[in-house]
Amino acid sequence: MTDQDKIVVDNVSKFYGEVLGVNRVCLSIPPGITSLVGPNGAGKTTLLNLICGLLRPTKGKISVLGQTVNEPDLLYRKLGYCSQFDAFPRGLTGLELIYGYLKVYGLSDREAHQMAWSALETVNLTDAANRRVHAYSKGMRQRVKLAQAISHRPQVLILDEPLNGLDPMARAEVIALFQRLAADGAHVLISSHILHEVDMISDRVILINNGYVVAEGNIRGVRDEMDEHPMQIMVRCDRPAAVAAKAFEQDHAVEVKMHEDGQGLMIRTRSADQFYLMLNRIVLDCNLNVEAVAPADDDVYSVYQYLIGTDGGRL
Amino acid sequence: MITSFLDRLTEGGSPWSVWLRQTLAIMGLETKKSFLGRRLIAVYFLALAPVAVLVIRIMVPLRPEELGTPGEAGMVFAVVFQTFVLRFSVFFGCMSIFTNLFRREVMEKTLHFYLLSPVKREVLVVGKYFSGLIASLVFFVGSTIACFLLVYVPYGNKFMEDFFLEGVGTQQLLTYASVTTMACVGYGAVFLLIGLYFRNPIFPAGLLLGWETINFLLPSFLQKISVVHYLQSLCPVPLPLGPLAIITEPTSAWVSVPGFLGLTILVILASALQVSRLEVTYGAD
Amino acid sequence: MAVYKHSYQAYTGPLTSTSLRFLTLPRYAYQRIFGSRIFLALFLVCFLPPLVAAVFIYLQHNAKALQILQIPINELIPIDAAFFQVFLYIQCSLGFILATLVGPGLVSPDLTNNALPLYLSRPLTRRDYALGKISALLILLSLITWIPLSLLFFFEAKMAGMEWLWKNIRLEIAIVTGAWIWMLVISLLAVALSAWVKWRPIAGALIFGVFIVGGGFGALVNTVLFTNWGSLVNIAAMMDIAWRWLFRGEGTPNSLPVWSAFAGLVGFCGVCLLLLSKKLKAYEVVRS
Repeated sequence: MTDQDKIVVDNVSKFYGEVLGVNRVCLSIPPGITSLVGPNGAGKTTLLNLICGLLRPTKGKISVLGQTVNEPDLLYRKLGYCSQFDAFPRGLTGLELIYGYLKVYGLSDREAHQMAWSALETVNLTDAANRRVHAYSKGMRQRVKLAQAISHRPQVLILDEPLNGLDPMARAEVIALFQRLAADGAHVLISSHILHEVDMISDRVILINNGYVVAEGNIRGVRDEMDEHPMQIMVRCDRPAAVAAKAFEQDHAVEVKMHEDGQGLMIRTRSADQFYLMLNRIVLDCNLNVEAVAPADDDVYSVYQYLIGTDGGRL
Repeated sequence: MITSFLDRLTEGGSPWSVWLRQTLAIMGLETKKSFLGRRLIAVYFLALAPVAVLVIRIMVPLRPEELGTPGEAGMVFAVVFQTFVLRFSVFFGCMSIFTNLFRREVMEKTLHFYLLSPVKREVLVVGKYFSGLIASLVFFVGSTIACFLLVYVPYGNKFMEDFFLEGVGTQQLLTYASVTTMACVGYGAVFLLIGLYFRNPIFPAGLLLGWETINFLLPSFLQKISVVHYLQSLCPVPLPLGPLAIITEPTSAWVSVPGFLGLTILVILASALQVSRLEVTYGAD
Repeated sequence: MAVYKHSYQAYTGPLTSTSLRFLTLPRYAYQRIFGSRIFLALFLVCFLPPLVAAVFIYLQHNAKALQILQIPINELIPIDAAFFQVFLYIQCSLGFILATLVGPGLVSPDLTNNALPLYLSRPLTRRDYALGKISALLILLSLITWIPLSLLFFFEAKMAGMEWLWKNIRLEIAIVTGAWIWMLVISLLAVALSAWVKWRPIAGALIFGVFIVGGGFGALVNTVLFTNWGSLVNIAAMMDIAWRWLFRGEGTPNSLPVWSAFAGLVGFCGVCLLLLSKKLKAYEVVRS
């Protein structure tokens, strides 16, 4: 895969005067869903705005599928952006919003109308197409923003907190849309605070804090690289005390918490592989009846907590 | 793989046709904003206030010595036009319309809709400038024409017919309308630039107003560095400027009009340069 | 268990008295306003004219100083009604610039950020809020208008003697009344526009606009309709009439009667209050 097929961020820094936006960021983002995760003020929006060309880097270069911001007429045919701000030009209906800006792309009336309608259909907003956007509910405004971003069928879709304000049904539909676009070969770059959803839908995550990219890759890969960080594994079985006793004979076990119902335990271990091996032996030796074994922190939330040190759920 | 609909936009066509379509599309989006909304109350007031005064002049008939001759009515219009329409209505109206073209979109966090369209930023500046220009022309050329007609209404239909069909009425009307058009063109470009370069346009606008107001007191060469000097030179009825004024030879229309338009183009180019470097952070304004 | 049962306790400390609670708002406003160096510099500049005036008064009563400076006494400006009126005019003009800088930022950020419900959900009424915001300007303008001019008046009284004081006590009344009328007009206008116009620079421009365009429109009405009543939309002209009457006890020739200038100013303040009350609500109405 060449740079023509990727979003390439090459050693990019952005300073607002003396304030750091992002620093020495290097990324190469292939097609698929990529999530940008970090606490408030981490530099997520700055990074997205740099990729979009709304901001110019202080240092470094950015190209999106081989195009730079110096060629806006080529770049923005390929790029769609959904801002985090709940803001729209005044007085426009949903249809007018999408149609009007498609016309700015240079499309004919017929094409613009057809594509605008199609975008509204994609986000299930055709019934409200002729109502003013300012009269929409928060979820509808979020969806019309999304429709505007995808209306010209971009190859790169950049979404700044796109799931905010959506009810569970709409959220599921939007996520399915992202997955569909990604399956078609688009780059979908999302920043979100809804960590478990990002965890579910992302092909890879980029963790950012204080303007630095602290980790990048798929969630499992990021987790595996954190060798020294103990991993939590939940075991549901009939004799958890026996498992706990055996575990403490090993060096890798750090902590064990018994479940209140006496039917399981949570173990923190420095080596998941060694623990699974030990568990196999206990099952065979003690005839242990195991109901379930599952890693408890193999998700973005735990990775996030470990790398960034905040509770991602409370962002 | 997704294929872009838009790749074929410039295929086989000249970029100028695309730019023209884009300019018209921008104007289409802006037109609604230019005429509707609470923020335009002040602009409507500036455009309609002199009209209202002249309507009252018709409705509350003045004594014959107050009404004066049609020649004196021409002077009344010159006063209305040169002291209020040019110096206040068009100046403040253009300030409100043109400084807002970009700044308001930054305030309302909607400028990215334009900046992330495949449109050259120069085209965006031209599209927005023309939409502002159309709005200001409708407001202020409309106001000028209405005022000119209303000044002569009290003299009756017969006089109106003679004055406009056989006399100098139509020529004067067109001249005044052209002066207003040029005022909108010039002040519009200046305020577009001020709105882009200054976060708070009041102080540069205040300085400009001060400069334009004391212009007649300045030496000749300084008088020529102002919009109002050229506009007043083109007015058909000159207005006495008072004992303190420094009389300057009016600039010929053949020099002032092309010079004025050339300067306007330069100012618009400076605006385009600023927009091409514009970064959108939507910070606290 | 509900969270409040764990640790939450209502505030039980002392409260600011109800009548003075509105002063909390200017206190916080000044923290922000005086953080600006430009504002601070301008504020300090506002004290220069009174200093110059104090020097005039001092020289007027100090023959030795005049001798040293070789200034003939008949070339000095007399300390009379015109003297105080001119300095009131200068101070009020400077106050106008301060008001255009400070006023637009008083209410508009609260409305833009939907912070009004936060104020009004505390023991602070709409009236307290409006009073607090207006008093931020009134206190500031007082510091540069009637307070320094009153000090000048009493300085002159000290130098010239008690007889001058009793003879010219009308001037002190004129200084205080004239300044307060101006302060109320400008403060109410600035706060009302701040409540209606979200963008601060535009609100500032409108304050200028009301004066400049109002003046121009008033002159237009007077010229076209052969009347003086056009001056009713010219705040500066109405203030001029009011001040002239207060300082010299006479009206302005070829202009509005004194009573109508006062009535016009009261009406203008009423309109500003009406605009303010329309906008200051504890809830936001979103219009489509």
